[in-house]
Amino acid sequence: MFDVIVRGGTVVDGTGAPGFAGDVAVKDGRIAAVGQISGEARTVVDARGRVVAPGFIDPHTHFDVQLLWDGAARPALEHGVTCVVPGNCSLSLAPLKADDRKAVVGMFQQIEEMPPEAFTTAFEWTWEDFAGYRAAIEKGLSINVAPLVGHSVIRLWVMGPASQERAAFPDEIAAMQALLRECLKAGAVGLSTSFVDLDAHGKPVPSRYAQFDELDALCAVLGEFGRMLQVVPEFYATDITIARIDQLAELSIRHGIPTTFSPLFDTLAVPDNAERAIARVEEQFARGARVWPQMQTRPIDISFSLLRPSLFFARLPRWVRILRQPLEQRVAALTDPDTRAKMLADLGPDGGEAMFGRLVARGGDACPPEYVGKTLSEIARLRGQPAGLALIKLSLENGLDVAFLSASQGHQSTDRIGPMLAHPLVHIGASDGGAHLASFSTYGDTGYLFSEFVRKAGAMSLEKAVAKITSETADIWGLKDRGRLAPGQCADIVVFDADAIDRGDELPAFDMPGDGMRYVRAARGVDTVLVNGEVAYAQGAYTASRSGVVCV
Amino acid sequence: MDEAVIVGADIVAGHDGTAELVVRLLHPDGSEHPVLLDEDTGLKLMEACGAASLEDLYGQSWRRIVPES
Repeated sequence: MFDVIVRGGTVVDGTGAPGFAGDVAVKDGRIAAVGQISGEARTVVDARGRVVAPGFIDPHTHFDVQLLWDGAARPALEHGVTCVVPGNCSLSLAPLKADDRKAVVGMFQQIEEMPPEAFTTAFEWTWEDFAGYRAAIEKGLSINVAPLVGHSVIRLWVMGPASQERAAFPDEIAAMQALLRECLKAGAVGLSTSFVDLDAHGKPVPSRYAQFDELDALCAVLGEFGRMLQVVPEFYATDITIARIDQLAELSIRHGIPTTFSPLFDTLAVPDNAERAIARVEEQFARGARVWPQMQTRPIDISFSLLRPSLFFARLPRWVRILRQPLEQRVAALTDPDTRAKMLADLGPDGGEAMFGRLVARGGDACPPEYVGKTLSEIARLRGQPAGLALIKLSLENGLDVAFLSASQGHQSTDRIGPMLAHPLVHIGASDGGAHLASFSTYGDTGYLFSEFVRKAGAMSLEKAVAKITSETADIWGLKDRGRLAPGQCADIVVFDADAIDRGDELPAFDMPGDGMRYVRAARGVDTVLVNGEVAYAQGAYTASRSGVVCV
Repeated sequence: MDEAVIVGADIVAGHDGTAELVVRLLHPDGSEHPVLLDEDTGLKLMEACGAASLEDLYGQSWRRIVPES
């Protein structure tokens, strides 16, 4: 008697091999058999007409805080993600002394945009060391977690305030090495560092004060465990990124470790950015280094409101001049009919339809509900106003606190990005799940991989896409027994409709502690998700299963 | 030309969903490189140069990017 049989689907086993009709049987949290299975099971999942694949692995997230009250990392799990890697970009919630919590909370708020209540009411701080944090999240996991430890918090633990002032002394570096070793023994999957992030006061995070010898010494410890170094490089600055790739390659070869830098973006403004970076990665792999560029699937949207100046208007000189005035003068100018007429004249004879018509009112702010999710073109029609005037008036009526989204303004060229995602040395990731909560949704990138790059563009086969986000990810990160449907592997399984899987619409949700807002996407086309052999999500609902583990 | 000057400017979608500014710098040795400025820095640069449009940045010294101490 098996625990579960997923019956009658097309098995895409995560290796990239062609899918085949078959069943997957589960016993004691592991896959017991794959093929035509005649035995019985306590639970049978009907997968007819569906793909049965290994659970997806998301290697770049910031679910560190959310996991303390939401062990499913919602909505990641419903998108088929069965393993997340938090702790990226040099920040983790451990090791962290009680006295340093405030400083690190500020850094997290800067990155995650999480409301303060998330840190004051949603959980109890019961830990300082990494083992303590692990124990705190393990109580309620329904998704698997492979946590990184952050370089910034290691530095802060050892150096205190000096971690954001100077290079480390040799004894401090030795203390950081010992602390990192302790974290890796307690279940960290690697170390993250950042060359770009800022804290809540606009000051570089501690990791940015490290000299190369410090990073080298920490990588020596990673080498003892064969564990990952993750870095955030300088975006779009191609020459610096290439220098980072070379630096990572040296560390990889010297210490025998995998390294990854995320994100790598494509942009039409610097068209050779990703191409040159990938070419350098190829050279370094040829030398024996492992430097994995992480590339996200989703395009980047720009959002803005008239509440704050935005470079979105940089091609409209009059708008720039008016919108960068102090608030009171800005409102006065936008209210003045003469000024407004000149602003609208700048938009051309269509009143801004071509320039602004496709903007979307986002919601989650002061925007009237009847306009949320509508394009400015639709709003303009409803109000009987040209698009530019509708933008100004709707903003004025709501204290300027109406956010608009300009979709797909970066990393948006499917024709260019598809072949890059399919490249054997490009690691699909960089979702940032759990971060940028109030700016945009960081969920559903796996669904978008299938809808945009498999179904629409044909940039890769379904089997290849599955392999990229399952077995290849598991291998890159050294996640043992994950990422494949084969006997003996952990039974992380997703059942989905290959014709329907997608990332879903972006919507505001008020489900953060303190009724905090975030943007989410509800999954489309995912039927059932099993984590370590238990059904964690089915028929559009999360179950009571708590079968997730720290899987390092 | 004895120091780098801005020879191009474009708006790009930043990693955090804001509009950011990429300026291309032409160096005295003839090489050209992009530099990404976050939204605040980009707006400050435009203000420092008295620029009302991206084209107004062309020919400005790279030193305008660095805030005066």
